[in-house]
Amino acid sequence: MFNRNYKEKTIESVLFSVSALTVVILLLICLFLFRDSLLLFKETSLLDFLTGKFWYPTSVNRQFGLLPLFFGSLIVTAGAILFAVPLGIASAIYISEIAHPKVADALKPFIEILAGIPSVVFGFFGLVILVPAVQNTFNLPTGQTALTGSIMLGIMALPTIITISEDAISSVPSTIKQGSLALGATRWQTIYKVIVPAALSGISAAVMLGMGRAIGETMTLMMVTGNTAVIPSFPGGILDPVRTMTATIALEMGEVPQGSAHFHALFAVGTVLFTITFLINLIADLIKNRYRFKVD
Amino acid sequence: MTEVVQNIAQPRVAQPHITVGNLNLWYGEKQALKNISMHIPKNSVTALIGPSGCGKSTFIRCLNRMNDLVKNCRIEGKVLIENKDIYGADVDVVELRKQVGMVFQKPNPFPMSIYDNVAYGPRIHGVNKKDINGVVEGALHSAALWDETSDRLKSPALSLSGGQQQRLCIARTLAVKPRIILFDEPTSALDPISTSRIEDLIMNLKKDYTIVIVTHNMQQAARISDYTGFFFMGELIEFGQTRQIFHSPKEKSTEDYITGRFG
Repeated sequence: MFNRNYKEKTIESVLFSVSALTVVILLLICLFLFRDSLLLFKETSLLDFLTGKFWYPTSVNRQFGLLPLFFGSLIVTAGAILFAVPLGIASAIYISEIAHPKVADALKPFIEILAGIPSVVFGFFGLVILVPAVQNTFNLPTGQTALTGSIMLGIMALPTIITISEDAISSVPSTIKQGSLALGATRWQTIYKVIVPAALSGISAAVMLGMGRAIGETMTLMMVTGNTAVIPSFPGGILDPVRTMTATIALEMGEVPQGSAHFHALFAVGTVLFTITFLINLIADLIKNRYRFKVD
Repeated sequence: MTEVVQNIAQPRVAQPHITVGNLNLWYGEKQALKNISMHIPKNSVTALIGPSGCGKSTFIRCLNRMNDLVKNCRIEGKVLIENKDIYGADVDVVELRKQVGMVFQKPNPFPMSIYDNVAYGPRIHGVNKKDINGVVEGALHSAALWDETSDRLKSPALSLSGGQQQRLCIARTLAVKPRIILFDEPTSALDPISTSRIEDLIMNLKKDYTIVIVTHNMQQAARISDYTGFFFMGELIEFGQTRQIFHSPKEKSTEDYITGRFG
């Protein structure tokens, strides 16, 4: 008896330690990220970093301005969302409400496969197919633009948006759907006046998570956006090369001397990125928890 | 019409509103309704009783074609509403459901405001914007919900109690101005007080509407209905005036069910 109790307790504490480890790792990442970022501010003020318009980390008169990178990420992500949200929601509606169940079952694995493609493969595809296509279509000096990045990111965010929206739409109770049809609403009226509004918080969570996926993406963007650290103009800048925060860290980290101001600046960029994704995930979580139905 | 339909179960009534002739229904291979024929009289309450799985809910869902939503559901026979076959090729299901409203077993208000719930039907049917306020108020009055909700029309429907939600669903149905209202066990999820309010409401509504109600509760059928049909294993065993069904049933199984020997 004692023996069994002992065994149970051991298993319990092992499982607890494993779960606790996740939290510890997260805290350690935060700690190192913040510690190394803070060292930057011996060199530059926080304000100069956050509002600086130039990212010249290696010139004689070096400047660590976040804005070109921040706006680079912003314009690419915004473009991706504009592209992926309508497509994603439309697909989710089709799969959950319109498609024959057999068709829906056939489509779903493809969406999951899309989510599983490594980003470097997306990047390669973008570089070989999309970059020349964008260049020729808009008659540009280079096809490596924010738009190219947006389209690639949009495709990459689609699985997240479709899967989570589909889940939200399917969890709207069928009794509500029947209530609408019984009032003489058509299927389409039922979808856009009852089902989609009822699933809206779930759909918003899907969009936020898709955005979180997009803003953290690195490899694909590095390959297709041209990596020019200049504040893009709006809206014409969508056809110019840009450089995102993620690509900057990936490109420069390998060549910077450890402990230099440049090194710390990259950490600071990482902290900004981390804060943004953290907030996005938090918001997504908050709205997601609201959408569960209290009807049943 | 009677020549189309043989062996029809018909209480002595003046005016049939719905006529069902030799209705058979299958879910896949399983036959759920067997040769149902009946006249449902106008401006009266017709209750359908019977044990679980007897087909009474399936039957009521044939009257507004909600069974269209069920896969592998096959229907034969005729359902005439105001002399028009609702399974005819030229029938617009949307138009039919405007005319034949339905209130479900569990209250199913839309997750929007009380006002928007009632206004939903009129809006999708293109009622003039300036007339909607009046329609909503009228429907809430008829559903005996106006006094409780007039000061909070903008609050979410889901904040109402279960009984209020069910009356809201009735108001929502009335706002479309149907001729017939189908009730599918409307009080089975409600407490006794809410139940009695809904029963009063149903008895009031028969002045203006033809009402068909499916119920598990025999006392409820006895209290509120003018006509009662007893379903058993997919068949309509007996149909007649409620008083006759409860006091002098002609069939043995009706009597057994009513006296509580099974079901």
